[in-house]
Amino acid sequence: MTGYRALARATARAALTYRFNLLLSLGAVLVQLVALLAVWRVILAQAPVNGFTWPQMRAYLLVAFAAGTVVSILGDFRMAFRILDGDVALDLVKPIDYQKARLAEALGGLWIEVILIGVVVGVTLAVTGGMDTPAGPALALFAASMLLLVPLKFLIVYVSTLACFWTQNFMGVQWARLAVVNLLSGALIPLVYLPHWLATAAQWSPFAGLTSTPALIFLERVDLGEGLTLVAVQLGWVLVLWFGARLVWRAALRRLTVNGG
Amino acid sequence: MPIVEARGLTKVFRRADKGSGLAGSVKHLFARRYQDKVAVDHVDLSIEAGEAVAYVGPNGAGKSTTVKLLSGILVPTSGEVRIDGLHPQRDRMTVAHRIGVLFGQRTQLWWDLPVSESLAVLRDIYGVDHATYRKRLARFDEVLELGEILPVMGRKLSLGQRMRADLAAALVHGPRVVYLDEPTIGLDLAVKDRVREFFRGLRDEGTTVMLTSHDLADIEGFCRRLVIIDEGRIIFDGDLEAVKDRFARERILHVETTRPVPLETLRSSLPGAEVTLEETPLRYAVRFDRFAMTAGQAVTVLATLTDLADFRVDEPSIEDVIRRVYSGDLVLDDTGVPR
Amino acid sequence: MRTIRLYPRLLGAHFRSLLEYEADFLILAAATVLMQVVNIVFLSALFAKVPVINGWTFWSVVTMFGAVALAEGVGSLFFDGMWNLAWQINRGELDYYLVRPYPVVLQSSSAAIGINGLSNIVTGGLMIGAGLAHSAIDWTPWRVALGVLLLISSVVIKVSINLGTNAACFWLSSPSPMFAFAMHQVGDLARFPLSIYPIALKAVLGVVLPFAFISFFPIASLLETGTSRWVGLLTPVIAAYCAGLAAFIFRRGLRRYESAGN
Repeated sequence: MTGYRALARATARAALTYRFNLLLSLGAVLVQLVALLAVWRVILAQAPVNGFTWPQMRAYLLVAFAAGTVVSILGDFRMAFRILDGDVALDLVKPIDYQKARLAEALGGLWIEVILIGVVVGVTLAVTGGMDTPAGPALALFAASMLLLVPLKFLIVYVSTLACFWTQNFMGVQWARLAVVNLLSGALIPLVYLPHWLATAAQWSPFAGLTSTPALIFLERVDLGEGLTLVAVQLGWVLVLWFGARLVWRAALRRLTVNGG
Repeated sequence: MPIVEARGLTKVFRRADKGSGLAGSVKHLFARRYQDKVAVDHVDLSIEAGEAVAYVGPNGAGKSTTVKLLSGILVPTSGEVRIDGLHPQRDRMTVAHRIGVLFGQRTQLWWDLPVSESLAVLRDIYGVDHATYRKRLARFDEVLELGEILPVMGRKLSLGQRMRADLAAALVHGPRVVYLDEPTIGLDLAVKDRVREFFRGLRDEGTTVMLTSHDLADIEGFCRRLVIIDEGRIIFDGDLEAVKDRFARERILHVETTRPVPLETLRSSLPGAEVTLEETPLRYAVRFDRFAMTAGQAVTVLATLTDLADFRVDEPSIEDVIRRVYSGDLVLDDTGVPR
Repeated sequence: MRTIRLYPRLLGAHFRSLLEYEADFLILAAATVLMQVVNIVFLSALFAKVPVINGWTFWSVVTMFGAVALAEGVGSLFFDGMWNLAWQINRGELDYYLVRPYPVVLQSSSAAIGINGLSNIVTGGLMIGAGLAHSAIDWTPWRVALGVLLLISSVVIKVSINLGTNAACFWLSSPSPMFAFAMHQVGDLARFPLSIYPIALKAVLGVVLPFAFISFFPIASLLETGTSRWVGLLTPVIAAYCAGLAAFIFRRGLRRYESAGN
């Protein structure tokens, strides 16, 4: 346990060293936030659409921004480069679990991400007006959902980065993941706007837990019962992906030994 | 008219003086502080067509910076450069056709292309016609043995192969002036010899060559003119052989005798030479000026005094001279006379 | 003339090594197509409930997205080496460029092929085509010529912004194209009609970094959509201005170039 804590602390301390990486991924999410805020402000100025009013949509987009910012410092680039360079072999000889070690690093960077989220949300609210917070139980459920989002997002990034064992082209995998997550998580547009079949598929996919679930709970667009179900789905995916990632990892290692690193 | 001419050439590098870490970077944003480093300091140099010039100096003396200024890569802080009467920045395209540059530390080959393809791209950039290109390549091949490396990818070349290919790349357009910056660095002896032979061929064809090197063996037997730079200033510019005659005139004769001879006896019979005892008994060192006496005369004199078991003569090389200049033991002026 | 003829030669030299990694190309191509598909799904979901935003319909916005994809595609397929400029400066790779009789900027931009540009050009072209097909304009020869001119100008603006922002590395001395990439991301804002943004953002996207002239203004002119239709006719002028400015920045930067290892 101490090994993982040391890794988390190391990332926490080094977080500022990776500030450029962080600013880059933050930049993309921030630009999307600004663009979508502007689009919806014009659209919803006349009348609510699909039951979303302007303040609600704004809250939705802010939750989407927070969800998009969390676990982005992890440096999937760093892990990818270590795999592509073959340096991953050095990580393997350490007496710690690879997956847990990477999770510990992701957790270590959280603090700076939380600060950035606070700043952006604060500025947005200051510029465009205040926001209603949900009642106690819904707020608690929202908090639980945001907490589950951290391992969920980590696992999705982690599994997609393991693709580097099979392809030299990390950029392509990364772009594809970003595109799919953006759409199916509801970050680009709330899932209710999508065609019914796609919305349903997305709802049960692991991606919904990355934006839609916490956002809907925060806006109280789902009642507590439905909210609990959504959070349970989130939890389910965390477990499935945690053990699924281990299978992928084992396959990746077999590939590593076959190719001689 | 000289083919390369520099007047008052000066290059000052300005380095941001940042403190360490984030705090230093932030402080730098508000109060910018710089440190100036004068890499080349009022250098005057003029090279005639067909000359082979050795440009030497200790590490960080400003050799590479001078080469980059003379080839138009860097813009001088002050002073000016003319290549064949042309301004290297204003007439960059024309000048580019006339000069060839090789940086031993860095390749100009495309890492993802085979050598043959890299050379062909350069051929097209310089607009060399195919017949001339084939002829040049065949000539390079004679000395550099390019044949075996032509199909190899840039990234897969060994150091020696890379340097041979890079030499061809720097000369594919038949430049009139060639700057060679550390062209033998890291090469093994066999390749070095081949490369040096290639340089001699270049010189004999009338190409103007300026050679910078750490390895003074590159220079001996190749360059007639020696330019020494230290701390950005030219401290010597003159004939290589003249320097050798003046400063490499001392010879040391090491002798071993069968029985001890008093030093006084040796000294009085060899006036003008300096005789010292070496670490082991029965061994003596005799320093003399080769223009005052020959080694044969010295040996003959000694042989009349005692039986010689063994003897050996040491000649200093140009390398020793230059090393003494670097270390400040020896100060040369422009005519090669110590100050 | 020789300069132009030589460019495909320099760029094409890298093509063979590109083919070695066929699977990588397919992944990149699939990813870029996927990104555009996501854009289309998003736009159609958005416009399913609201037919018009500030005078812009689904198809006119698709045309705008297409124009951005086309410009980015040309930028990566033909001029991807620009994104290596920071690296080239830091490693002193411009040394050899500077002693060759070919423009330094073109040697730099031809140093790499962004093969994903190919799929972006294709999908962008399809989006523009579909968008125009659904518009109600009369295709007179004059309008066709205008459309071609505007699209070419739009591409020139994108490539010029890439060059100008990457050339900032001569001053920033950063080993990665951080600044240029950040500006590129800001440009994503210009995929939506400019009229939805507050005045400060309009000024940035219309004047400071004229991303709006890559898509919004020219498409508004071509489709006669929105309120500022005539501004788009200035696109060729803006393109000339951007190209000139980028070349100027690059030349000034080159004078500052200090090589490496000093």
